[in-house]
Amino acid sequence: MKIVIKAFLRYLLRRRSLSILQLLGIACGVASVVGMTLSARSALSSFNEAVEFLRGKATHLIERPAGSMEEDVIAKIMHDPAVDFLAPTIDRRIRLTNEGDLIRVLGIDPFLDRSIRPEIARAVTSEEEGISRDAFFDFLLKDKSVFIDRNLANQLKISKGNALETSKGNLNIVGIFSNPSGEPLILMDIGHAQKLFDMSGNIDRIDLILNDETAFRLRWDAGFKIESNRQRRETLTALLGAFRLNLQALSLLALFVGVFLIYNTAMFTVVNRRRDAGIMRSLGASRREILWAFLSEILLFGVTGGAIGGLLGYLLSRFLTGLMGSTISSLYFFLNPSPLSWSWWNIAAGITLGCGASIFGGISPLIELIRTEPAKTIRGRTYFRMSPKTVKNVSLIGLGVITLSALLLIMSFLHVYVGFAGTFVFLLGVSLLTGWTLTICVPPMRRLFNLIGKTAGKIAAGNILLNMNRTSIAVAAFMIALSMSIGLGSLINSFRQSLIWWMNSQLRGDIYISTRGDVEVPLDFYEELKKIKGIGGIDIFRTLQTTYNNTPVYITSIDASVLQKYARFGWVKGGDENWEPVKTGSVIVSESFARRFNIKKGNTIYVKGINGPAPLSVAAIFYDYASEHGVIMMDRSTFIDLFNDHTINSLGIFVDPAQQDKQSIIEEVKRRAKNRGLPTSTQEQLHNRILSVFDNTFAVTTSMRIIAIIIAFFGIAGALMTLFVERQREFGIYRALGFSTKQIACITFLEGIGMGIISFIMSIGTGTALAFILIKVINLRSFNWTIFYHFSLNPYLVTFLTALFASIGACLYPLWKVYKTYPQMQIREE
Amino acid sequence: MKPIIRIVDLWKRYNSDEQDGIALRGANLEVMPGDIIALFGKSGSGKTTLLNLIAGLDKPTHGLIEIEGKNIETMNENGRTELRRNRIGFIFQFFNLLPTLTAFENVLFSLELVGKPDKNAVLEALHAVNLHNKEHRYPHELSGGEQQRVAIARAIVKKPAIILADEPTGNLDTNTGTQILELLVSQCHTLNTTLVMVSHAINTCQFANRFMKMTDGILVEEASCEGIDF
Repeated sequence: MKIVIKAFLRYLLRRRSLSILQLLGIACGVASVVGMTLSARSALSSFNEAVEFLRGKATHLIERPAGSMEEDVIAKIMHDPAVDFLAPTIDRRIRLTNEGDLIRVLGIDPFLDRSIRPEIARAVTSEEEGISRDAFFDFLLKDKSVFIDRNLANQLKISKGNALETSKGNLNIVGIFSNPSGEPLILMDIGHAQKLFDMSGNIDRIDLILNDETAFRLRWDAGFKIESNRQRRETLTALLGAFRLNLQALSLLALFVGVFLIYNTAMFTVVNRRRDAGIMRSLGASRREILWAFLSEILLFGVTGGAIGGLLGYLLSRFLTGLMGSTISSLYFFLNPSPLSWSWWNIAAGITLGCGASIFGGISPLIELIRTEPAKTIRGRTYFRMSPKTVKNVSLIGLGVITLSALLLIMSFLHVYVGFAGTFVFLLGVSLLTGWTLTICVPPMRRLFNLIGKTAGKIAAGNILLNMNRTSIAVAAFMIALSMSIGLGSLINSFRQSLIWWMNSQLRGDIYISTRGDVEVPLDFYEELKKIKGIGGIDIFRTLQTTYNNTPVYITSIDASVLQKYARFGWVKGGDENWEPVKTGSVIVSESFARRFNIKKGNTIYVKGINGPAPLSVAAIFYDYASEHGVIMMDRSTFIDLFNDHTINSLGIFVDPAQQDKQSIIEEVKRRAKNRGLPTSTQEQLHNRILSVFDNTFAVTTSMRIIAIIIAFFGIAGALMTLFVERQREFGIYRALGFSTKQIACITFLEGIGMGIISFIMSIGTGTALAFILIKVINLRSFNWTIFYHFSLNPYLVTFLTALFASIGACLYPLWKVYKTYPQMQIREE
Repeated sequence: MKPIIRIVDLWKRYNSDEQDGIALRGANLEVMPGDIIALFGKSGSGKTTLLNLIAGLDKPTHGLIEIEGKNIETMNENGRTELRRNRIGFIFQFFNLLPTLTAFENVLFSLELVGKPDKNAVLEALHAVNLHNKEHRYPHELSGGEQQRVAIARAIVKKPAIILADEPTGNLDTNTGTQILELLVSQCHTLNTTLVMVSHAINTCQFANRFMKMTDGILVEEASCEGIDF
């Protein structure tokens, strides 16, 4: 049936501008999904590659539950019959220059490492790799000699023979090696690494290849932590669990908005061609022929838009991958994920998505169209006005869908995915109320527009209602994008305010010594500071990552007496009296820990210490945003008893409030810290740094907000253009009646603004509800912490301006078309 | 001779929100091959509904429609499509040409549906309606009269047994309208095609051999045009 298809496809060429808008709509929808998915995959696969690369062939590792391990253990383990191979390792981070990134330094024994990590050992020893014998000897014999990976060298524009500036002085680069993972890496001989990190006689862990795990565990379990590869991988994967979930949510959000827009476009395609289909049917074309003609048009859009979207999505992923790498680096460890390389599968995925969503979007109106008697379809758009009964029915369905979403949200305790489903079903339900909202909003808008544009204003408002079958879909798509903007904006704002509240309650020190992960504070410096007059208390802080029930958690030690006096923790239950049992060996746990492991006040938890599992009573649960993995906090004395680890990560210094000259005491602490080469931060600086990390972590989310708005922009522009194209005859009548070009432009402009305003009005309620869902359901299930809702006008103002400007932007092209074509318009049937 | 169209006690009730009411109230009609029928009546009297029902474009609420002895109610959708495709030509008041096809392609479309895309036949049909120089023009490049000629060519090219014309001159001036009717009727005479045309125009009378009047859904045959209000 060549001519039927030809008739449909020529329509696309004839209405090029509309076709281009529709195509761009689909392309943007697809691009957002492909971009988000590819960048998430890239970031997570870089993470996995880094883990695998560092693991090598090791089957297990052994380390102390906390802190470093004495190196004489190596000799004992070496003789254990269950051990085939071993390699002692120092695994630390070093900061580039003073404020640069934290880079992983791996201290290795290149001889022992041959069996465990042959790739890494070969990198420093093999002449095949282009490594000279001299470079290897330098690596072994000269202090501060390092190999750095090629990506890092390229990034820093340094090469062999150059010095690498770090917070621990310059390191001499004696060689470059290839690193397939996304995590930058510096290799150092283990002996030199011990010197660099002041770990004389100590190592961090021993990587092992075991032939009998059970026997080895029996002999070495006491006082050590033995982890198999599977456990290690699970721990590390769990570390990024919430981040992965967040990416999945954003990808799904992209998918939802993208599919909505494609649906919008495909539906327009079918609705626009209703009359043509009627003519063809009356001339004898069968339903199947019409169906194929429509499908060929929809699929052409799907294939072309999907292919363009696949390409744009790939380009977008290159940008988003950088943002994700920066988020992972801020929250977890430095990772520089490389964007996935180009693959034709990107185009294939785009086409599949474009076609799938287009068919999904077009199928319902198409089925309705081919079922309708040709006598009705031939009347075209005049027939297709939505009757009040239809609006009512659709709204009732919408209310039903919203009720279903409420049920799903209530059941989100089963799995966070149920919560995701509830969120999307909610958005779908609200979008079904668009028609009803139009019938409520348009009458007062008509009066307002009458004041602005007289008759043209009234016509514009009337047109929004009259063409509800088109306008309602565009308004719904735009409303969803704006709601996302308000919802995500409110979430971010509430989270930020909660974080500020948390910092003001927990991080109340006047000055902090070394809050950076790469620097430890010497014990004698703590003793020195204690002697300064006017200091009311010093909180000694130590944090370490460990596992609880094979899930990563953090254990922190603090000075309970000092914090009781100076901090104002936010307790889930009770007040500062909760500190009393902590002083005598109980612990407090963060809300995320309590929720994750279903721990309640008074429960006993078992933490593996140097002498095996130790029972610890939970004295209280506190609100905390330091880590979504959960924190067990204990007094330093309890911590030392448990782990025999005296390391200090940082000090929080509280000046006695009775002191008159607080500033001079702070200056004195700063001076002494500087003499020791220890970095300091005032309370304000620390808070600002945390907020800056926070803002960084939401960069991807913010990008998603912008993409959603762009997608919705095309939705509105497409709807306006469709209305313009469809009403050529109507415009001819207006012209005959004496309407000026300006008046027609006014109609077009006010229609766009009107749709934008109604979308915004709907998004106020929907966005606020979405914010509550994100805060009270999704966030709680994903991160296990409570965010307190804080109202802020800002997201609403930003969204209003976005709606206004996007609507004006969407009007521009139709307006240009009005000025270009209206003066020649005539009343013609065709 | 058997009637080519037989209608018995035909009713059509619209229950949609937009049009509430009865469009046809027990219409009866027998049309013989070669008849040229003029169907008159005021707006909303049910004329177009009757044509749509005869063509199987809509379904009756009650009653019988037989085309060439076959009850179209017993036909499935494919059967009705085949009927329109092969045996019925349709001409509309507003031409209803496909805007994205040229005059030639619009006419060829009819033959392609029949499965005989004969380009010479298309050119002959366009020649017969005096459009032999304008076959590559799109509908918007043609005048109203020319568009209606294309519509006639589209209807006659497949040599249907019946042509249903819904106010074929309603959108044209009197002179053009008369020319179109002459053309249409002459083609029907040549091919022995039955023509049922809905009209408001008095000049239709001179071309028809039977006259029908529709009033509020009731169909009455008149002996001549004299008793009909225009």
